[in-house]
Amino acid sequence: MIEVQNLTKRYGPFTAVDDVSFRVEAGEILGFLGPNGAGKTTTMRILTGYMPATEGRAVVAGYDVFTHPVEAKRRTGYLPETPPLYPDMTVREYLTFVSHIKAGRMNRAERDERIRSVMRKTHIEDMANRACGKLSKGYRQRVGLAQALIHEPEVLILDEPTAGLDPKQIMETRDLIRSLGGTHTIVLSTHILPEVAQTCQRVVIINKGRVVAVDTPDNLTHQLKGAASLYVQVEGPADATGALQAIPGVMRVRVSDRSSGYTGYEVESEPNRDVRRDVARTVVEGGWGLVELRPMRMSLEEIFLQLTTSEQAEEARHG
Amino acid sequence: MADTMHNITAVAGKELRSYFASPVAWVLMGFWAVVFGYFFNVYLTYFVETGMRAGMFGGPPTLHVNTDMIRPLLGNASVLVLFVLPMLTMRSYAEEKRSGTIELLLTSPLTDVEITLGKFLGAVGVYSALLLVTLVSIVILFGLGSPEWKPIAAGYLGLLLLGSSFLALGLFISSLTANQVIAGTVTFIVALLFWIINWAADTAGPTLGPILNYLSVTQHFDDFGKGVIDTKHLVFYLSFIVFGLFLTVKSLDTERWRG
Repeated sequence: MIEVQNLTKRYGPFTAVDDVSFRVEAGEILGFLGPNGAGKTTTMRILTGYMPATEGRAVVAGYDVFTHPVEAKRRTGYLPETPPLYPDMTVREYLTFVSHIKAGRMNRAERDERIRSVMRKTHIEDMANRACGKLSKGYRQRVGLAQALIHEPEVLILDEPTAGLDPKQIMETRDLIRSLGGTHTIVLSTHILPEVAQTCQRVVIINKGRVVAVDTPDNLTHQLKGAASLYVQVEGPADATGALQAIPGVMRVRVSDRSSGYTGYEVESEPNRDVRRDVARTVVEGGWGLVELRPMRMSLEEIFLQLTTSEQAEEARHG
Repeated sequence: MADTMHNITAVAGKELRSYFASPVAWVLMGFWAVVFGYFFNVYLTYFVETGMRAGMFGGPPTLHVNTDMIRPLLGNASVLVLFVLPMLTMRSYAEEKRSGTIELLLTSPLTDVEITLGKFLGAVGVYSALLLVTLVSIVILFGLGSPEWKPIAAGYLGLLLLGSSFLALGLFISSLTANQVIAGTVTFIVALLFWIINWAADTAGPTLGPILNYLSVTQHFDDFGKGVIDTKHLVFYLSFIVFGLFLTVKSLDTERWRG
């Protein structure tokens, strides 16, 4: 439904988006994850036809956003980072205007029904006659979402849809987005990790304009956790690698750090097999003196940090 | 085609609503009505007094309401246009950029031409309302005497074209910035430049002189004031408008590339 190929956006010497490629299948919810300034908004703005790419191609709902912008836009709903509201208009006036420019001609009854149904979906019926400029942050965001839905688009692009909402509103918005998945193809950006785990089927992690990883949230967690790992620290400049390696269920042992008088090992074991007891016994029986033993579990946060900082480390090494 | 019309009217309607929903249009209309009323009063008094004096002492025999009253009145209205219209167009793009609503317009299935024409027609709508206000005074004249309507119609057509040229200019300048005040000020300065450019024509020599004269927006208005509709002037104003709108469309496109 969305196909992005080698997308690059440069502002003078600064590269905001660097050779980004990914696909989103129909009905899928894709999370766009990255720190602020990673190029999420720029990528979304290219997808919605707000700005052209310097290089590369983006096809949305079967239409190239650069060569057939109007056709692509007709099939795309977009919620920018700040909801684009006119403060003087009431919510109903605003949605009427947006329905005119996005959904084109239709008869009055049909338009009214469309507006009512969108307001129902986003829970803003109570605010229909309130001026947009007088709405709370939460309601603004919801009117922004209503605006994105009004022309019943196949594709939804949501830039930080839960930013600035209170926890209850965040829950509601996530539920709404999840309920829209399946019938809509959704790309949402966020820098909040649990959001991705809870709403998205697939994640694109982007940092400094480049895609660092694409996978399901579960796979990302598994893959990077590398089965189950333990960290073991022993006294002395000992060589316990062989002994640890001999423990049944252990797949790999690696010296991770060596400081004055201590040696740290990373012990990787088969999934779903607890080797802690055996590791402890081996160390003690070997007479090395067990200092520390803990599981190395990575949360999505750590994966994210690892991916985005290893990138920086690599760059520092090269540069 | 029908879709294009629908899109243009949708944008124009939104523009009109936002002008009248904010104090801008009303303040301008009040200012405009007061100043125009003042001009009207001055010219009417002058006209009546000169007429009476002529009747009593046998001065210059014929004063005509069209040439001696309405023509200078519309001439002054055209000066007023210069001050009022920059305030009308200054927010049109600048405000959308500042508040981020430009993102809504540019990601909607609208072409840049549709957006620009919509905004232009919205502004012309408000300007037409300003002109309508002045018609009240003219109607009073019809009650008092019997002016000819044709020169008046020509004068109003001239005002409409002159103003629309400034609106196209103002839209273009507003599309270059996100700051209303800058948009308004620069529009005023550039409009003023087009206004006074022919003052240098007499001393500018045989080549440059006629060019400066041609570029002057006032120069082209004079004939309309006299009640003459000359194609030459129509072409000037229409090309001024088309060129201004063309630049606005291009500026929107450049804005996309610059991001």
